Amino acid sequence: MEWTEVSVLTTNEAVEAVSNILQEAGASGVKIDDAADYANLKAGKFGEIVDLETIPHRTTGALITAYYPETVFVPEILPTIKQRVNELSQFGLDPKPGTVTTKAVDDVSWATAWQKYYHPVRVTRYLTVTPSWENYQPVQTGENVIRLDPGMAFGTGTHPTTRLSMTALEMVVRGGESMYDVGTGSGVLSIAAKYMGVKDITAFDLDEVAVRSAKTNLDLNPIAKDVVAKPNDLLKGIHQPVNLVVANILAEIILPLVPQAWENLTDGGYFLTSGIIADKLDEVVAAQEKQGFIIDNILQMKDWRGVIAHKPTEDE
Amino acid sequence: MAKKVANVVKLQIPAGKATPAPPVGPALGQAGINIMGFTKEFNARTADQAGMIIPVVISVYEDRSFDFITKTPPAAVLLKKAAGVESGSGEPNTKKVATVTKDQVKQIAETKMQDLNAADVEAAMRMIEGTARSMGFTVEG
Repeated sequence: MEWTEVSVLTTNEAVEAVSNILQEAGASGVKIDDAADYANLKAGKFGEIVDLETIPHRTTGALITAYYPETVFVPEILPTIKQRVNELSQFGLDPKPGTVTTKAVDDVSWATAWQKYYHPVRVTRYLTVTPSWENYQPVQTGENVIRLDPGMAFGTGTHPTTRLSMTALEMVVRGGESMYDVGTGSGVLSIAAKYMGVKDITAFDLDEVAVRSAKTNLDLNPIAKDVVAKPNDLLKGIHQPVNLVVANILAEIILPLVPQAWENLTDGGYFLTSGIIADKLDEVVAAQEKQGFIIDNILQMKDWRGVIAHKPTEDE
Repeated sequence: MAKKVANVVKLQIPAGKATPAPPVGPALGQAGINIMGFTKEFNARTADQAGMIIPVVISVYEDRSFDFITKTPPAAVLLKKAAGVESGSGEPNTKKVATVTKDQVKQIAETKMQDLNAADVEAAMRMIEGTARSMGFTVEG
C-alpha cells in the first residue's frame, strides 16, 4: 500500500490541536517531534543515561507527522488541514509557522524492514552474535554462535559494554563455575558463559520485560536451556555464594551491588562489571577496593570501561 | 544492562490495536526497532483502553533495544469524553457541536499537566481551551 506523509510545523501549544486535526482527517495516529519534550526529558525508571548532546532532537517548535493510505485522496483533505491549522490563532493557539508539507512514502514491508540493521557480529575469537532469522554458520573452528531475537531488552551484542563483558568472561572462565548474571537484559551474557563452560547460571533482572526476553533468547540457544532467569533487585535476598558474578549495568547501580557481590562470591571468585562510563571508573574501582576486592584488569572500548576483580583467597 | 538513550520517538496511536503500518513503521523502522516486538508489547499493555488514541514515548538505546511509556490520552480524546460526543466539528468557526465547562477544561489541564510541557496550569488550560474551540466546542463559564 502507498502512503502519503503530511507534516505540520507548529508550536508546542498547538500540538494537541494539530494532532487532532490530522487524525480527524483520517490518519490513524501521528508522530510528534516537539522541542519541549526533549527539553523536559528525564532518566527512565531503571536509571538509564539521558544525555541530550547525543540524542538527535529538535530545538524549536514542533513537527507533527501523519500518514494517509492510498484510500484517502490527500489533495482533497489538504486544503481543509491547511485552513484548520491557520484558523487556530482564532481559538487562542499560535500555530506559526503552520507550514504543511507532503511526501510520498515508499511501499515498504514495515514488519521486517527494521531487520536490515542487524547482522552477525563476531564479538570475540570464540563468540559470534547473530539475529535469529539469519542462517549464520561458523567460519572458524571453536567459534560459537549465539542466536538472539533483538527486542526490548538491552544486549544485542553490538554494544561496547556487552562486548567488554564477553571479553572479560573469556579471560576468567575456565569451566565448571557457578555464576550470577545480574541485570541480564537479553540474556546474552548467560548464553556466552554457557558456551565457555560455566556450569550453573542464574540470571536476574529487575525488569520483568527483560526476564521474558531473556527466557525467549535462552530457548533459542539449546546450550543455555538450564539457565534460570528470574526477576530480582540486584542480589537482594540472595545468600548462596557462587564462583562468578557478572553485571553489565550502569555505574550508579554497580555501587550498591558491590557489597552484595562480596557476600555472594566464594574466595577467589570473580566479579566482572561493565557498563561503566569512563568518568565513573574511579568511583567504581574505589568502591570495589574499599570492599576488599583485588582489581585484576581494566578493559576499555570507546567511552566505556569494564573491571575484572576478584575476592582474595585466604593466602592472598 | 547499561542503557544509554540514543533516540526518542513520540507517537499517538490506537491502544491495543497498533500495527506495523504508519506511523509506527516509518518512525520505528528508521530507528531499527523490532516493530513486531513493539506492537505486541504495546497492545498487551494497553488492551484495557483498546481503541482509544494513546500517546507513547519510546526510548531507543544505543544497541537498538528499546523501552516505552504511555502517557495521558490526548486533549481531544478527553474533551470528547467530557462533552459526551464522538467527534469534533469539521467547521469549528460556524458549526458548534458540543459544550464543555471551564471546570472541565481545568480538570483536563491538570490531568495532562505533566505531559503538556506547559509552564503552569493557566498555560495548560489555554492549550486545552484552544484545542476545544478548534474542535467546534463552546467553552462555558
